[in-house]
Amino acid sequence: MSNVISELIEELSRGPRSRAVLSRVFSVCGDSILDLSRRGTTIKMVIKPGCLRAALENIYKEHDLYFRTMAASDERFKEGLTKLYYVFGIDSEGTNIVFEVPVVNGIKVDTISDLFRASDWYELEAHDLLGVEFNGRPLRRLVLPEDWPEELYPLRKDVSVDDVKKVYQPQVVSRISELGVEEVVRIPVGPYHPALHEPEYFELYVRGEKVVDAKYVGFMVHRGIEKLAESMKYDQVPFLAERICGICGFVHSTSYVQAVEDALEIEVPERAHFIRSIVLEVERLHSHLLWLGVALHLLGYDTGFMHAWRIREKVMVLAELLTGSRKTYGIDLVGGVKKDIDKDKIPKVKETLSLLKKEFKELVEVAISVPQVKARLTGTGILPRGEARAYSLVGPTVRGSGLARDVRKDYTYAAYHYVSFKVPVYTEGDNLARTLVRVDEVFESISIIEQLIDMLPSGPIRAEKWEPQPMRLGIGAVEAPRGEVVHVVLTDLYGPYRWRVRAPTYQNLQAVPIMLRGVDLADAPLTIASIDPCFSCTDRAIIINLRSGSINTLPIEVISRRVSKDG
Amino acid sequence: MVKFLKMLSISVREGTATRKYPFESPLVTPEFRGKIEVDPVKCVGCGACTRICPPKALTLSYENNEATLKYFVGRCIFCGMCAYVCPQKAITISKEFELATWELEDLYDETTHTTVKCRICGKPFTTVKFANEIRRRIENKVPEDLLNVCPECRKKLATRKIGSRVVGVSGE
Repeated sequence: MSNVISELIEELSRGPRSRAVLSRVFSVCGDSILDLSRRGTTIKMVIKPGCLRAALENIYKEHDLYFRTMAASDERFKEGLTKLYYVFGIDSEGTNIVFEVPVVNGIKVDTISDLFRASDWYELEAHDLLGVEFNGRPLRRLVLPEDWPEELYPLRKDVSVDDVKKVYQPQVVSRISELGVEEVVRIPVGPYHPALHEPEYFELYVRGEKVVDAKYVGFMVHRGIEKLAESMKYDQVPFLAERICGICGFVHSTSYVQAVEDALEIEVPERAHFIRSIVLEVERLHSHLLWLGVALHLLGYDTGFMHAWRIREKVMVLAELLTGSRKTYGIDLVGGVKKDIDKDKIPKVKETLSLLKKEFKELVEVAISVPQVKARLTGTGILPRGEARAYSLVGPTVRGSGLARDVRKDYTYAAYHYVSFKVPVYTEGDNLARTLVRVDEVFESISIIEQLIDMLPSGPIRAEKWEPQPMRLGIGAVEAPRGEVVHVVLTDLYGPYRWRVRAPTYQNLQAVPIMLRGVDLADAPLTIASIDPCFSCTDRAIIINLRSGSINTLPIEVISRRVSKDG
Repeated sequence: MVKFLKMLSISVREGTATRKYPFESPLVTPEFRGKIEVDPVKCVGCGACTRICPPKALTLSYENNEATLKYFVGRCIFCGMCAYVCPQKAITISKEFELATWELEDLYDETTHTTVKCRICGKPFTTVKFANEIRRRIENKVPEDLLNVCPECRKKLATRKIGSRVVGVSGE
């Protein structure tokens, strides 16, 4: 390797790990690297499609390199080609390594789904929505329905929503008569059957009482929220982003604004960072309490469920007091927040938190000690550490399998570097481990809010002025209650040119079949729930649910009813 | 072994958690964001709120020499951006959330403004109050004959003026 390149690598790397990765890439693809640059914590490398695979083959064994997200973007009208942005993270350094791959129309990109298994869905999605072709892997429909017309790629810039409406009508009605479902109700949880908490569809293959395999069918209706955002202004998108998830919406709006702030190098006032962190932790509290309640409900311990939600209500009221709304907080704007935390609210916050700490401790001690609860959590739904790593999993799911991945520590954002907190890790990998991670996190969150509220600096809550610039890449990541959320934004003059959302469940769902293999049918609902799945945010869409009535295709709620009835 | 029975004492201590709404007052904090209210006196019909509104619940339309700011609560997501951007502070956020109704019209609120007609093409292009507000803000620094001309005619006018200066062709 020439001295010039070694010096460049030396200058751009943020530590020994990124230096090693960059040198390895250069050693195989020296000539195919068109550009190398760094901004903040993000190192960006423009690499020819022909060499992407060779580069990644050489680095995929690096132990702390993990696949965070991939954004495909149609830039044919800007630069005459489609681009793929592969985002990798080095946890120990908090460094992002972005491989920008320009793809001329008709060129096939070599798959990396065998090296980074998490990239499987991303490649299928890019193929579905933008028509990117991949070599060396079977391509099937993932996001779009089976009856979608060939050669219509809805996320391409020259495809308008009206075109799509003209060409495609979902064949819902014929499907219904085929399946013999008794009624159709068009409500937002799914046009086929609205009886579930969340739209989802698992096929479990059962031999006796044991699950031998499982298949997840999703993406049945893609709402096209990313496309919608392309027609919106910068400050309108946070409100759209917040509606991606019905539980942890604020993480999406924060992720989006952070991505824009990263791309446009907007300096956000300290106080805004603190307010965002406080509200994010309040959201984590209510989300974990909700999850614990649902988990206990799925186990048939409804007393615990009621009490978890009774305690959660105090957090909801607190959220409304701080932001103006129980759930869709609506305070994130590019460059800061729009609602301040007044001094006179602080005593109320502290009072709620100390009450919460006491009551939650009391509840957990009792609920986890119920013999049936403990027995059904322990040793079920095991996710081995190796699999958790191979699938690039995130959030409490990965922390229950012994990996301390947490965006708040690894790629710190907002005001988290001011507070001290632990990242709870359990090594057992079973449902109990994932439960205990969340229980511990509730106490950590309470402590984080207490610290932040005491340190809250004075000053403005929003950057006064910022100028949009076209075609800048920004990455925003937030540790959501269910894992890492990554948003990638390509900027334009009035709003995002391309906005890519990666919700945590998108990553975690792919590991659910592993967790399900070998569990008793009765433990399947809890095991599915143990990743705290958020199907709506995964699809960023409304899913159509089918109730076929056949024995081996059962929605989660039906299984859980059956379990509580049978014992 | 019988530790889980402790839940009974917690239940006794906490009593009933459910509120008897609507017979009891609902649990709404002073910060709650509900339906918005547009003050017809303060509103000048500039349309800033309609441009920021993420779900397009606010629209401004010109019809029959009237400009109408229409608020459709059925689309509203209660984000409060309209109140945040309103330059006249004409929009307030109320705590009202009991908005279900049998009549669709009840979901619409309208604020009407009289319009200014373009003195050249005769098309209404802004509201009287907005024009007055602009006059006040720029302290009459722009000639009055330009203020009563719609943007399209203003463009033509400016081109002609430049033309007349350059080649001596008289405007209008």
